[in-house]
Amino acid sequence: MSRFFARSDSESEESSSDDEITDKAPGATFKQSLLLSDDEEDTKRVVRSAKDKRFEELTNLIKTIRNAMKIRDMSKCLEEFEQLCRAFLKSKNIVDKEGIPPFYIRLLADLEDYLNQLWEDKEGKKKMNKNNAKALSTLRQKIRKYNRDFESEIAAYKENPQESADEEEEEKEPEDSGSSSDSEGEVSSKSFLKKKPEAPSEATDRSQTAKESEDKSSSSDEDDDDDDDDGDWSPSDSDSRSETSDKEEENALKRKRLVTFLKVKRSQDTEKPGVRKEERKKKPKQKEQIEEEAEEEGGWEKVNRGVPLVKEKPKMFAKGTEINTAVVVKKLNEILQARGKKGTDRAAQIELFHALAAIAAENNLGQGILVKIKFNIIASLYDYNPNLAAFMKPDMWKKCLDCIDELLDILFEHNNIFIGENIAEDSENLAVSDQPFRVRGCILTLVERMDEEFTKIMQNTDPHSQEYVDNLKDEGRVCGIVDRLLTYMENKGSTEEICRVYLRRIMHTYYKFDYKAHRRSLGLQGETKSEQDQEENKEENKEENKEENKEESEGEDSAVIMDRLCKFIYAKDRTDRIRTCAILCHIYHHALHSRWYQARDLMLMSHLQDNIQHADPPVQILYNRTMVQLGICAFRQGMIKDAHNALLDIQSSGRAKELLGQGLLMRNMQERNAEQEKIEKRRQVPFHMHINLELLECVYLVSAMLLEIPYMAAHEFDARRRMISKQFHHQLRVGERQPLLGPPESMREHVVAASKAMKMGDWRTCHSFIINEKMNSKVWDLFPEIQRVREMLVRKIQEESLRTYLFTYSSVYDSISMATLSEMFELEMPTVHSIISKMIINEELMASLDQPTQTVMMHRTEPTSLQNMALKLAEKLGNLVENNERVSDLKQGIYGGYFNRDQKGGYQQKQSYQRGMLNFTEVVSCFMSMR
Amino acid sequence: MASRETTVFGTINQTIVVLKIIKHYQEEGQGSEVVQGVLLGLVVDDRLEITNCFPFPQHTEDDADFDEVQYQMEMMRSLRHVNIDHLHVGWYQSTYYGSFVSRALLDSQFSYQHAIEESVVLIYDPIKTAQGSLSLKAYRLTPKLMEICKEKDFTPEGLKKANIGFEQMFEEVPIVIKNSHLINVLMWELEDKSTVADKHELLNLSSSNHLEKSLQLLMDRVDDMSQDIVKYNTYSRNLSKQQQQKHQYLQRRQQENAQRQSRGEPPLPEEDISKLFKPPQPPPRMDTLLIAGQINNYCQNVKEFTSQNLGKLFMAEALQGHN
Repeated sequence: MSRFFARSDSESEESSSDDEITDKAPGATFKQSLLLSDDEEDTKRVVRSAKDKRFEELTNLIKTIRNAMKIRDMSKCLEEFEQLCRAFLKSKNIVDKEGIPPFYIRLLADLEDYLNQLWEDKEGKKKMNKNNAKALSTLRQKIRKYNRDFESEIAAYKENPQESADEEEEEKEPEDSGSSSDSEGEVSSKSFLKKKPEAPSEATDRSQTAKESEDKSSSSDEDDDDDDDDGDWSPSDSDSRSETSDKEEENALKRKRLVTFLKVKRSQDTEKPGVRKEERKKKPKQKEQIEEEAEEEGGWEKVNRGVPLVKEKPKMFAKGTEINTAVVVKKLNEILQARGKKGTDRAAQIELFHALAAIAAENNLGQGILVKIKFNIIASLYDYNPNLAAFMKPDMWKKCLDCIDELLDILFEHNNIFIGENIAEDSENLAVSDQPFRVRGCILTLVERMDEEFTKIMQNTDPHSQEYVDNLKDEGRVCGIVDRLLTYMENKGSTEEICRVYLRRIMHTYYKFDYKAHRRSLGLQGETKSEQDQEENKEENKEENKEENKEESEGEDSAVIMDRLCKFIYAKDRTDRIRTCAILCHIYHHALHSRWYQARDLMLMSHLQDNIQHADPPVQILYNRTMVQLGICAFRQGMIKDAHNALLDIQSSGRAKELLGQGLLMRNMQERNAEQEKIEKRRQVPFHMHINLELLECVYLVSAMLLEIPYMAAHEFDARRRMISKQFHHQLRVGERQPLLGPPESMREHVVAASKAMKMGDWRTCHSFIINEKMNSKVWDLFPEIQRVREMLVRKIQEESLRTYLFTYSSVYDSISMATLSEMFELEMPTVHSIISKMIINEELMASLDQPTQTVMMHRTEPTSLQNMALKLAEKLGNLVENNERVSDLKQGIYGGYFNRDQKGGYQQKQSYQRGMLNFTEVVSCFMSMR
Repeated sequence: MASRETTVFGTINQTIVVLKIIKHYQEEGQGSEVVQGVLLGLVVDDRLEITNCFPFPQHTEDDADFDEVQYQMEMMRSLRHVNIDHLHVGWYQSTYYGSFVSRALLDSQFSYQHAIEESVVLIYDPIKTAQGSLSLKAYRLTPKLMEICKEKDFTPEGLKKANIGFEQMFEEVPIVIKNSHLINVLMWELEDKSTVADKHELLNLSSSNHLEKSLQLLMDRVDDMSQDIVKYNTYSRNLSKQQQQKHQYLQRRQQENAQRQSRGEPPLPEEDISKLFKPPQPPPRMDTLLIAGQINNYCQNVKEFTSQNLGKLFMAEALQGHN
């Protein structure tokens, strides 16, 4: 304290010995001050920067106004005054906190006086120029109006005996600190100190005062004893302060001063972080103290966030309160108020709701209120994570599931509860009465949200961990809840709601393979054969299909369910999105169960291909998944071409992973910022719904191989040959580039090796590359009907190899017996016959069938490679001539006289070209004649 | 002297030169690789007699500091010591299916001919030789081409002014191969020793391989030619477009000036039109010429080959019919 006073009181002293301050061991002074009042400083610090800034702005403006007053520049005065008003408005909230700064009042008072004085002074007025006079009148009016708001303050100011003599006042004027009058000495000191951080040493102070004196000397109407004044203004200042005001103000003042002082010190002491940290720790405590003080002082309250709730917890209701519906609802609303606020402890809130629910149950308040509270519990459970990306913690999730289950229990038990989102808050009927309960809230939304949360949990769990399996077990419960909701909604909900809940159900069904139905159909075909497989399947899939089994126990095939639900949606839904999703899921389900024609027809009927690009990304992902599934289905059915076409779009982009929502591609940040990445992450499909990418690629490559290799063989010399599948060619090229060809390892290598074998017509090798242990375990075993697919594949390989063989080697044969071919490719005679016939009809093979001997007679019409080359050359020459003609056309066309003028050169050139051409044609005709 | 400046009527090769060239190729050149060497000899009357030669050593990457000129001088000095003609009269090069008309050949032959007026380039075609007939040709640049090369003016205008086509680029010089008696004796002896099968190479009926290769090369050249023509086409179009613009600009200017004159104002200041309209960069036409020459060469080759082969085929047919 003493230190403080010593300092601020004897400014003059310090100014003479400025070095002392900076050099004084800062730590020591600091500690001292700490002991004194370490509590305020931090709070003040918070305010300070803003306050300082504003006040500095104000004081600066005031300074200019006073200057303008001195030189009687009214227009300037007016201008500045307007600015000042604006600045004051800006600093409104600070002013609210701190009270109107006294220097401001002072200025207002002075200004008014001054203006009045000027107004009275008729002569002076006459002397004034027009602008100034005008400004004067405006300003006078303005300030009158303005001052009305501050009447009381100004009065107080005027009342207060102003010991500040004119001279002193004026001396202080240029420097903003001067504006602070005696009664509010605090400000003066503060504003003085405010400068300190900028220039801690007194030297600047000195220079400042020097500047002031300069200022003053420049202002003509000033007397010359400012130096003396300068010397003693601080003492006078302190005097004035000591004279002032009551105790409270004094206290406040001290605090402020101290704070500012400390702040100064601080800025000097920044190299002592240790001390600072210590202080930081104390901060919270300080804060409270400050708040208390603030209450004492200013009387305005700060809301103590979060705390009241915690405090209230043990005593939810005052003792003896009669607990009835109204009270509970009120309490509920009270708790709800805190929801979403920054400081609210969300966990505590959930607890509170639970407690409330317990109380409600205890007091038998009826199901209505219970339902309402449950709604709120679930909502706040969802709210628990502030971040949309974050997923629920397991215990929260369990709680959530339980809650929803209970809620559904209640709803099922009590038929007289009406819930709906459009029931207004005030028309709710929660009390026990004859009328049915009416509760606001939407169970469907909650369940949908729950479903989303489930997806989120699955997205955020490592798919290869046990945890994932554990989480996946909850799928059964989720499905159960959806099912129960479905039953509930079928009874009570509107059509749209039913559609929505149906879609949820579909979403949980469409990607699951219905093993039971599959087995049943197999069983119908051949009981004995599938017996073993069944057992195996059962064991394998027991775990996965628990929930399915549950569903199946109802005795309904998933196909039937899908059909029923989807058809309802097709008929009743009015939002496009739900219908689109339902169609896609339906197709997917069909495709998954190898109902190719149904799936294809549905896809074609829906016309989704045309406008799917306008859909939102999740639907597009679903569409991609459906297309892929459709392609795989086509492959299983042996529709190689359809399979290839369906998969082409997804595979050719090379982004299958991304397009199916099964993972993000590594990309640099330019293409995608963090925000986008988050969004994309949210779109990912959970792992248990993934489509195996390797299977997908393999299916694509194999179908591409089956199409491309014969095509390549048929069009070997065709100049305009087009690739069917770029990706397949890419794989082939990669295979060719390999310096050393080992036995194939990966799926791709297998396919490439098989393609090479097929190119030679060697179907056995091709077969062994496509279907072997490795490929089985990698790809083919993933199909539900492995055996059938393999058989189909072998047959396709045989057929296409035969075609390739005929294309490649037909030039070697004059004739070939079909029996030999059938033996070579292990195909039945009729098949060979049909394949060859087809090739002949399509004019792919220049041959004829000789019926009696069962042979294929080749007709040599295929050009040899030399002839092909000659043809190619002829084509190129044609181009050349065309280009050449264009050149000469240009010359002749534009310069009419050119040809004549420079006939010789031009002609010669042309002739020479033509001669060259003649040569070419001769050559070509030679070749043709040679054969 | 003056006559010799422009024409060398014939070259006379000593067999030793031919054999040395063949040997050089056999030892060092394979496939499309090219071997080169220096020809030595002297000018007698209007004939150039090539009496000896030596190969350029094959270049490898690691002896970059190898001084070729130094090597040549050294070589010639050594040869002089053993009393062999040491006058530099040209160079020889092997070729692959007749593809020798190139910028490199043009440039080096130009520098040779520039320095030593009578120098020739001998082109040896090992593939044709392997088929049974020695193929050795001597070429010189025509005086016209020499002039163009000297001026380095390969713009379309320049070439047009010079009035040069691809036929006038190179002139073939007839070759006479002269043997010494000793060598004649050797040849006789060799012929006696050689088996009949060796000579049947000449009657080989298979043609497609050779033709395919030639065609492939021919096609490549034709592609190049097409590209060049397209380039030239764009150039001429740009040029004419610009001419039009320039013309329009001038006309406008003239009109404006006339108006101004009628109003009594001073005419607009003259501006540099060439600055306003920068003519487009004309594509160099030399390469096109060379390509044309090369194409012509290929065509000649193919024609020769096919006519020979046709003869052989008819012969074979007749033989078969006879049998």
